[in-house]
Amino acid sequence: MRKLLISTVIAATAATGAFAQSPSDTAKARRAFFTLVGFEMSTLGGMAQGKIDYDAELASQTAQDLMTLGGYTITDLFAPGTSNDDLMGETRAEAAIWEDMDGFQEKGMAFYEAVVALNEVAGDGLDALRPAVGQLGGTCKACHDDYRASDF
Amino acid sequence: MSDHLENTYVWDPVVRVLHWALVISFATAWGLGKFGPNQMTLHFYAGYTVAGIVVLRVLWGLFGFHTAKFVNFVRGPKQVISYAKTLPLKEPSRSFGHNPVGALFVVGVLVVLAMQIASGLLADPEDYINVGPLAQYVSASTARKALSLHEPLSTLLLLMVVAHIGAIFWYKKRKGENLVKPMVTGYADLPQSKTAGE
Repeated sequence: MRKLLISTVIAATAATGAFAQSPSDTAKARRAFFTLVGFEMSTLGGMAQGKIDYDAELASQTAQDLMTLGGYTITDLFAPGTSNDDLMGETRAEAAIWEDMDGFQEKGMAFYEAVVALNEVAGDGLDALRPAVGQLGGTCKACHDDYRASDF
Repeated sequence: MSDHLENTYVWDPVVRVLHWALVISFATAWGLGKFGPNQMTLHFYAGYTVAGIVVLRVLWGLFGFHTAKFVNFVRGPKQVISYAKTLPLKEPSRSFGHNPVGALFVVGVLVVLAMQIASGLLADPEDYINVGPLAQYVSASTARKALSLHEPLSTLLLLMVVAHIGAIFWYKKRKGENLVKPMVTGYADLPQSKTAGE
């Protein structure tokens, strides 16, 4: 009986272990993740718009970093109970994400595919980079339009 | 008042060209904003065109032709109310230029358009391709505020357009007055008494 009790406690701990982070922590980590995506994106956007001089190596490296971020499993960053309805002022992630996970994942997939396409051309000169960045930025917008509030 | 109507010059070419240019550029900007591609370059150009039109219309409202000048058509609450009372009447208004209620709309639409232009210029949707050109000069929270205003303002502008077109239908059906033709040709049939005092 005691053994059963202990193992139940252990099992319960293991089961809740995945939810040890508070919803606020999750939202904070999520914003940190997208801050990184935005940081890399601002370099590429700057190059595409001529605000930063094109540099094949920097462009390739930045595209590679986005690829790394694109490989990150974001499921835990979008744990249930972390929408802007749950955490007012802490996140702009709308409840629509959890209501329409398929649609949301489709947007994520479009982003990933655009990152893959970008990686193929990032080092091939500004004329090759520009449309790929435009395509990628478009996938940011498409998701923001449907799933992110414009303000906190 | 004599019933004798004369073909009277009401709208100068600047007002007419700006009006119809606004129709085209606003419809383009609105449509592209709502239904256009994710890369919003053309929406931006349409928005800049609207901005240019609004600036020119305000300048023309200060220094332009008679009926275009704000000072000649913006009226106080008394005149607005007394004109509003004539709106349901089944007779033509025969206004020389903007009537006092229409004046409210003109000023209102210019103000809301200016707000919409400002919010667009300052908005940052954080997609790194559709960032308002002035967003870099303001704080992130201001750029977010601008972004969050841009869409509701577009709905308000749509409602204003609907009201504007509704008013034109009202004048046509109820009051038997064609307001579209003068905005095209510049001429309206008005009694002498309406223009003599101007």
